[in-house]
Amino acid sequence: MKRARCGVLSMVVCAAVLVIAACDGGYGEGRSGFAPRGKVLIEGQEINVLLPYKVPGRLLDEFTRETGVKVNVNVTSWDAVHSKLIVANTAKTYVADVTELDWSFTGQFAAAGWYEPLEKVLDPVLITDLSQADAALTVGGHTYGACYSNDYRLSLYNGRMFRAAGVSEFPKTFAELGPVVAKLKASGVRYPLGIPMAATEGGVTPWYLLTLAMGGELFDKDYKPLFTDPGSAGYRALQFEVDALKNGWVSPGSVTLDNGPVFDQFAAGSSAILFASSPGNLSTANDPKESSIAPEAQPALVPGVRGPGTTFGLPEGLAIPVTAKHKDAARAFIEWWMQPATLRVLYKEAGMLPCRSSVLTSMAHSGEIEGGTVVGDELAHVVPLFGQGAPKWYGQFSSTAQGLLNAAVKGDVSVGAALTQLAAKATELAGS
Amino acid sequence: MGLDIHKRETPTGGASSSPCSRVDVAAREASRVGMLMVAPAVIITAVLVIYPLIKGFRRSLESGDAAIGGQPRFVGLGNYAEVLSSATARDAIGHTLIYVALAVTLELTLGLIIAVALHRFFRGRGIVLAILILPWALPSVVSGVLWRRVFDPEGGLLNSMLAQLHVVSHPHVWMASRGWALVFITLVHVWGVVPLISLILVAGLQSLPEEVFSASAVDGATPLRQFRHITLPLLRPSIVVALSIGTVGALKIFDEIYVLNGTALNTRSILMEVYNTTFVNADFAHGTALAFLLTALTALFAAVCAVAFGRSRT
Repeated sequence: MKRARCGVLSMVVCAAVLVIAACDGGYGEGRSGFAPRGKVLIEGQEINVLLPYKVPGRLLDEFTRETGVKVNVNVTSWDAVHSKLIVANTAKTYVADVTELDWSFTGQFAAAGWYEPLEKVLDPVLITDLSQADAALTVGGHTYGACYSNDYRLSLYNGRMFRAAGVSEFPKTFAELGPVVAKLKASGVRYPLGIPMAATEGGVTPWYLLTLAMGGELFDKDYKPLFTDPGSAGYRALQFEVDALKNGWVSPGSVTLDNGPVFDQFAAGSSAILFASSPGNLSTANDPKESSIAPEAQPALVPGVRGPGTTFGLPEGLAIPVTAKHKDAARAFIEWWMQPATLRVLYKEAGMLPCRSSVLTSMAHSGEIEGGTVVGDELAHVVPLFGQGAPKWYGQFSSTAQGLLNAAVKGDVSVGAALTQLAAKATELAGS
Repeated sequence: MGLDIHKRETPTGGASSSPCSRVDVAAREASRVGMLMVAPAVIITAVLVIYPLIKGFRRSLESGDAAIGGQPRFVGLGNYAEVLSSATARDAIGHTLIYVALAVTLELTLGLIIAVALHRFFRGRGIVLAILILPWALPSVVSGVLWRRVFDPEGGLLNSMLAQLHVVSHPHVWMASRGWALVFITLVHVWGVVPLISLILVAGLQSLPEEVFSASAVDGATPLRQFRHITLPLLRPSIVVALSIGTVGALKIFDEIYVLNGTALNTRSILMEVYNTTFVNADFAHGTALAFLLTALTALFAAVCAVAFGRSRT
């Protein structure tokens, strides 16, 4: 009898569990939850914002004073933001009201339906003003993010180290780079170049940049990999990184360093050149509170084959997940962030180069942009990494690239083997 | 048994008042109360453990299309086959087995040496015990960060020491070579776990009957023979417990690798591959399949340890 009862209890528990398991797990669509403008009271609401960068606290206080909405900004590393968004959105649970939407997330997140399209939610004037930078955050005619950081790759160098080495100008081509590095080494700079090579997103970005700067592309229009041929730019780019390590141009420890620590080394005066840096880093490197080399950091056009090379943009946007609790307050926050005055403060205090064309033009004219002419000139060489938009499988491609490129620079696999494996993975992903 | 119950439950005049029947009713009542008391724990376990397990297993049998906006399809054991055919996952399994073999060997050897040393009473023993516990009390991420400063290629303690001793002429990037990286990561893990293993073994040693040692000493047994023929066999239950904890801990190694070498392929463990596949690639289907393979591996080790524990007690 006792056994029978135990059996019944077990069966009931198991049945309940199975019923819950069976009933749960639909992949439902998110519903837009925006109220018509002017008909909603957001005062007193509290929103959470998930970003990889700090936002000056007094700015947030200003927003709270204006709107009555309290903002909690949760700052964590870029890779951690990516993981958190994937976990929360897959589980269809709330993560924040406003989150980071990097260009590289856009393809996958849009396909999965995790974010609200913003083209009909935000002020149309703002949408038009952002349209150029927002192209990388747009899929199928829907804009999923409002670009807040007009990030692109450009090179930085330490002017004092260049003068000490007798170098008058930054090399325009890779052929000119060798003699410059030799002079820097002779003047006492042990490892002149700073290139992050860890198995992280920051560690693969230099390879993307070098591939473009060496005159190539990663994929053709059908996403066929173009980097396996030894003569291809992608192959030469990775070989360049391996050789830079072998020749002592780059510190051996770079194989375990992400872009943050590599920038810190540059700002501490340990390296003279950062290949794949950003306009935001320029202002930080020239801030005496943040850098010991201020004001010697100089911007430079990324070198190329016969002159300045091509570079690429990595715009980052603010987006509203379909699971957000306070969508109207989130919209108000994004629109406040995109005001010219806020964007100016964010550039000066957090190094975020604005994406709004009107603000960028006005700041360039008034000389507010650090390294003004070079930063402006480099913009002319910016192309998207994926002309046809970031594919929905970019995350998997990038993750595979992180491991394989890191293995190649460590010497665990050859350049050819690493790129062949990466191409095979990309082909598999593109075909799936 | 079933017939007996049936007989006792059959109302036959006057039988209900017999002492036997009263005992039976009381037993049934006690059983009912017991089941009621246990029910919350069973239900909570079912909801928090069994339900996620079933849901996770179901996910491991479906395609990973949901993360890119598609509908998941039933693929049977396809994800498991694909995971096992992936070179990265196979490497991760190999690395994990190396971590387990190295870590368990070092933990048991060092743990036993420390336990034997601490078993004898000496001045300051309490302080030594307190200091010994410190590495175990530190979160593994914190100990990883501490050790990163030791292995740092530029200005790290290890390179500085070796350079001063003229063993190396230029800084070595310890995490770049697979062999060194696996060894050093294991050492950091062992550093954190050895205190616990030592404490388990000290407790085991203190429970051994003193008279056995006295009798063997009278019979002329040397301390070495006593250790070989008395201490080790009697300590077997504690060793098996320590072995289980060490094995399961090494199978789950993650923090130390992540802090010291990130997600680099040359040191990636199974759990790290699960993390990378699931949370970086957003490939929950293959990630869950790999997680279930790790669970099976852990269960296998746990079963072996349980059998060994059972034998050691008999």
